[in-house]
Amino acid sequence: MVEADQTHAIEVTINGERQAATVPARQLLVHFIRDTLGLKGTHIGCDTGSCGACSVIIDGKLVKSCMLLAPQADGAEIETVEGLSDGGELSPLQRAFNEQHGLQCGYCTPGVLMAATFLLRRNANPTEAEIRRAIRGNICRCTGYVNMVRSIEAAARATAGSIDAAARASAVIDHKEEEAQ
Amino acid sequence: MLLESVAYARPETVDQALEMLSSTDGAAPLAGGQSLINVLKHRVASIELLVDISRLEELRTVQDRPDGTLEIGACVTYDELEHSEPARAAHAVLADVAGHIEDQQIRNRGTVGGNCCLSDPTNNLPPILVALGATMNIQSAGGVREVPAEEFFEGYFTTAVGEGELLRSITVPPLPAGGGAGYSTVAVGADSKALVRAAAMVRADGQIEDARVVLACVAPAPFRHTGMEGALRGSEATAAAVREASLVIGEDLSPPGDVHASADYRREMARVVARRSVWQAIEQGGGRRG
Repeated sequence: MVEADQTHAIEVTINGERQAATVPARQLLVHFIRDTLGLKGTHIGCDTGSCGACSVIIDGKLVKSCMLLAPQADGAEIETVEGLSDGGELSPLQRAFNEQHGLQCGYCTPGVLMAATFLLRRNANPTEAEIRRAIRGNICRCTGYVNMVRSIEAAARATAGSIDAAARASAVIDHKEEEAQ
Repeated sequence: MLLESVAYARPETVDQALEMLSSTDGAAPLAGGQSLINVLKHRVASIELLVDISRLEELRTVQDRPDGTLEIGACVTYDELEHSEPARAAHAVLADVAGHIEDQQIRNRGTVGGNCCLSDPTNNLPPILVALGATMNIQSAGGVREVPAEEFFEGYFTTAVGEGELLRSITVPPLPAGGGAGYSTVAVGADSKALVRAAAMVRADGQIEDARVVLACVAPAPFRHTGMEGALRGSEATAAAVREASLVIGEDLSPPGDVHASADYRREMARVVARRSVWQAIEQGGGRRG
């Protein structure tokens, strides 16, 4: 018999750590991540699936965690922004956002970082158009898209070569006026 | 946001899912949830039980048959359809349409079946499926029945899927010899809410032999514009002839008007997208004159 209930026992792996919990069927995944697991890096911007601030990676796929119920993530491997850095050491992507001023108020940044992570895994050397398409689901209310695109370009170069190559690459990034997304 | 109390179940087979859907009052299938979760947030539907069908392997494959027919499982995501080799080989236009639905996050979760069963008149996939002459395979405890896509989309948020039934898969026949497909949209922003869409399948060899022209967003459901189809049949496969044929679209349409565009604008753009989709279909099929 298939269990049909208002609460569900689930087990997930979050940033490499196994977690078990009993969740209400109606709980959104983003609330499970923030309130039950205490990982506040995943933000809630709009709560309607429009802004992408709550984006996380589930079983390798970028999703908005306000558009899933917690029980739907049962058995899944979840990656959040907290999992990007390695013991306090920023990842190349995070470092690029720092160096290229890829954030302003920072509210949308966790979601953008996860969208960029998904993109760079799928396409290590994206064009500017591909980067813009990849962050189409992430709204920055500071409208800081130009520097986000630069950051992701710089991260792509950094991961392609050494850290020195990345520094050279970011120095030669064309700072021409670009149309904001 | 706090949703209303609801029960959740994850059956392991389509048969189990059908059993739960038909035996429980207020049961609804949950696939990608990219519309349904928002419906739950807004509390505009009273759902007692969510039957999660998104992991059912039976519904998750894209297969090409030896005769060139493509069978797409209802729970295949837009992203999977976009990157499916058999889908791209058989119907590149269909794969491209899937790749331009909203954003990457939605494409990773939203399903082909969900896009069809929601039957929002602005949705991306219905018009191209009607143009390609797809068949919708609807399963119930009694078996599978086939409904042409042309009859499946009945109106605003209503389809041929009844109580105790599930859309199982969609079969898309191969393009006929000399045939091509096209798709065109005018939207508020790139990959965003559509004002008007058209999809076409045309068979041509210097001269247009057959044409299916489907308009969407301008009526409660996508529909074939038989007037333009008739005007195209037998005419030369030239841009001028296609333009001329598109002029029969007009007062027969009563599109909605809203803050994004007036009814008149949508009517005018219907001609434009119809023309573009037909021309794309002719180019894709290699049947243009000269």
